[in-house]
This record gives sequence, structure tokens and C-alpha cells, in this order.
Amino acid sequence: MLTVLSRRPAWWPHFSSTLRSTAVTARLGLVLGIAVLTCFLTGLLSYFQYQAWEWLPPPASPVWGYRVTQGVHVATGMATIPLVLVKLWSVYPNHFRWPPFRSVRRLVELITVALLVSATLVQLFTGFFNVLNWYPFRWDFLSVHYRLAYVVVGSVLLHIAVKLPDIVYGLQTKIAEGDVLTEVQWNENPESHSIAGPLPPPVTPGLSRRGLLTAAGAGIGVVVVTSVGQTLTPLEPIGLLAVRQPSKGPLGVPVNRTAEEAYVIAAATAPDWTLKIMGPRPYALTLAEIEEMAIHEAQFPVSCVEGWSANAQWRGLWLLEVVERGGGTADSQVRVRSLEPAGFFNKSMIFGPQLSRALLATHLNGQRLTADHGYPLRLVAPNRAGVFNTKWLATIEVLS
Amino acid sequence: MKIWRIVLAVVGVGVGTYGIFQLLTQLPRQTLVLLALWLIAALIIHDGLLSPAVIGVGAALRRYVPDRARRYLQFGLIMAAMVTVIAVPMIYRAHTQPPAKALLLQDFGINLTVLLAAIGGGTLIAYAIRVARDRSLPGRPPDEADK
Repeated sequence: MLTVLSRRPAWWPHFSSTLRSTAVTARLGLVLGIAVLTCFLTGLLSYFQYQAWEWLPPPASPVWGYRVTQGVHVATGMATIPLVLVKLWSVYPNHFRWPPFRSVRRLVELITVALLVSATLVQLFTGFFNVLNWYPFRWDFLSVHYRLAYVVVGSVLLHIAVKLPDIVYGLQTKIAEGDVLTEVQWNENPESHSIAGPLPPPVTPGLSRRGLLTAAGAGIGVVVVTSVGQTLTPLEPIGLLAVRQPSKGPLGVPVNRTAEEAYVIAAATAPDWTLKIMGPRPYALTLAEIEEMAIHEAQFPVSCVEGWSANAQWRGLWLLEVVERGGGTADSQVRVRSLEPAGFFNKSMIFGPQLSRALLATHLNGQRLTADHGYPLRLVAPNRAGVFNTKWLATIEVLS
Repeated sequence: MKIWRIVLAVVGVGVGTYGIFQLLTQLPRQTLVLLALWLIAALIIHDGLLSPAVIGVGAALRRYVPDRARRYLQFGLIMAAMVTVIAVPMIYRAHTQPPAKALLLQDFGINLTVLLAAIGGGTLIAYAIRVARDRSLPGRPPDEADK
């Protein structure tokens, strides 16, 4: 039985491409590791916008903060899709070691690598699909994306720990000279340079290893340059793969949820609409009163969790003045509610520095808000995820 | 190095276990079943279909295309594949959303064609320059497979 197992069958796959090498994989892996870490950290910053702690309110400055971090999050995530595919190509022969399950340790390694690969692919692709507003997966995107991120990062760290000697070898070896990576592990391969001693570097008759990395970098570069225009305004004209084109949105700003989708058209255009302020000294403001008070201007970009953003000039009244008249202060916890009857995003909490600088906006880029942009009144604040700039306001609740 | 490996492994197992624990305790059973199916499907599609297809293409190129031309073809195909992976879901999803979202309003089929043509054209020009240069430099040894 043992001898049968130790002899490799003739049909077993054999990989002979000299392009593959730990020297190549380690370099791809280094960039991939940085990309995953970038996505994780910017993702945590975004999650903080969703679940800010009372004792640590989200900052209001820089006003472009979330625009940059979330733009980086989505752009890096998209660039990581082709990157991870090349990286996995470079190690594909590792699946075909003989015998397949030589030890418990090898089995554990295979299971953790399977988890690493599947979690990373699902995380990247569902994130991309979310940016496309496409939900073929029938689960709540945020609650899975957030938790799966820990699985991805944890398995990446474990993978680095397991592979650290190979990573060090790969990075220290000249790219053309590294051992060829085949289905036979280098320390069992008599032809490997590491064992056979100084030999001429392996011949790559077609593309060189350096050429492979250059091609991968160029391909990823094309993806980034043609897609990042959805947040980096000067690149919008060459955005052949840009998911959003902010300048094509109404009043120069895209909309993520239309008035029709939110079922608010009738309520938002009702002539007797009033803004109700609840708290220690409740009162109400009519539309005419609000139009009269709307004289303050501010420039806050709209920055969406989906990675697009656009500069915007707003006009309205300061939320803090409205809150103070209702008996609150700059230290109050304030909840704003939309006319939208249901859904997780028909309300939002605002407190701390964002409360002091928030605007209840009536105008966007010099024009009265359209229904899709939140007519008659919407919240805007600096460095605030777009989804919490609540539209079609109905009530302001001064909670403390 | 050993201490680094231990630290990385301990932190990695901790973070990963936290994520798995969160998933198992905070999500409805139906979501977990679907997620498990997606994780398995990702492995099957990537390792079982995509990777063998890519390796098959590579083997065919090695067999049928001379080395000097193959070098440029491989370069162009790698770039083209990367752009295509991103463009295909966009082509599928284009024009499905209300116009006010300014979302996927472009004709991504045409855009992908433009990008692939640019990549193909650039590759071809680089190859032509190489061929011309090889001819003008008789001292340069020709590639084995070009004989």
C-alpha cells in the first residue's frame, strides 16, 4: 500500500513552465498583502461611520476624509481582483503535490489555504458586485462583508506565518534566478537550484518573469486608471471602466436611492410639509420658513460607500441652530428621520464635530434640490458617508 | 524569524477565529448556508475551471507559437484578461439602473473593445519593432524557435 502511494501515477499533472517561481510569487504576494491590508483598514474606517461609538464621534475634518479612504477602499479592491488571480496562477502547481495528503500538517495547510482562497475571492467579488448594485448573493451585504473581512485577514496572516521562509527566500532571490515552482516541492526536487547548487538561471523561452510582472502591473494599471474616475474627477473622461460618472448625475451629483425607490414622492411634494423638531422645546418649521432661513453655504463632497464621490456646493440652514432652538446643544445626540417609511437608512444619528458643521440643505450646486436629491430638505455633513446624509427629512429628534 | 512566525500565526488564528465566530453567531442560518455554497463555488470555479483553462491556453501557445512572438502575445493576453475580468460584470449590469444614479450608463461592450484594441495594437507595434530590430542587427542570435 505504501509503495503504491509513494509512486506517482503517470497521469498525475506536471507543470513545466519556468515562469513560475517563488521569486515571482513572493513579489506578487507582497503587493497583494499590502492591498489586503489597505482594504481592511479603510474598510474598518468605513464601518466606523456605520457604527460610531458614542464616546468617539466621527470627525468632521478633513471634509474629504471619507472621500479618500472609501475611494481607496473600492479602487484597491477592484485592482486586487486581477492581482489575486495572477498570484493564484503562480502557485497553482502546489495543489498537485504527491502524495496529496502526506501528513496531518499538510492536510491542515490545505484546509486553511482553501479557506484563504475562497474567502478572499468571495469577499472581492461580492464587494465588486455591491458597487455594481448587483445582488446575486441573497444576503445582507454589509453584515457578511464586515465579518468575512476578519476571516480573510486572519487567514492571510496565518498564511504569511506558514510561508515566511519561502517569502524571505523569494524576496531575496533575483527574480530570474529563483527556483522553478512546480508540483514537486523545491526541497524534494533534485533539479532545483537550491539543492543542485549554483546553476545557470532557468530559461524562460517566452515571456520572462520580469515581463510577467510588468504585464500584470500594466493590466492592473489600466483597470485602476480607467475606473478611478468615479472618484478622482480629472480622470472621469477616460473612465472606460468607471462604474459611475458623477457629472452625469442630476445637478452634477449621482443619486444612490431615488425618490421613487424610497416611496416618498407624494409625502415630499405635499404643500403642507413641515419639519418637526422634537426634544426639550419641540416646534415645527414650515417650508416657507425654511426657505427664508436657508442662507448659509458650505462645500462638502458627497462620498458614497460604493466608492464614487463628487464635489458639491450646498446651501441651507445650520443644523446646530435648529437643534439649539429646540433646547439642544453642540453636545447633543441628534437623530434625523426621513419621510421614507421603512429601511435601515431612513434615519441617522449625528453628534460631535459633524453636528456642529452639518447643514440642512435646500440647494445643491445653486439649484433647488430635486426629488431624487432629497427635496424638500436633506442633511449634509463633512466627512460623512453619503448614506447617512439623510434625504427627505421629516423630523429632527434632540435626544440629549 | 521564528518569533515573527509565532506572532503572525497567533494573531492570524485569533483574528480569523473572531471572524468565523461572528459569522456563525450573528448571521441567520439561511445566510450561512448560502455563504458556504458561495465559498465552495468560488473554489470550484477558480481551481476547477478558470485555472485549468488558463493553463491550457498557455500550453497551446507554447506548442504552436514561436517563442519570440509568444513573448508579446503572452504580455498582451495577460493585460487583456485582467481588463476583461472587470469589464464583463459591467457589461452584464449596464443600463439596469435608474438614470439619476449615473450608474453603469456606458456601453461597456464598446469600451472593452476599445481597451482590447489598444492593448492588441500596442502589443503588435512592440512586436513589429522587435522583428525590425532583429533584422537590422544581423549579429544578434535569432531565437531558437524562430528558425
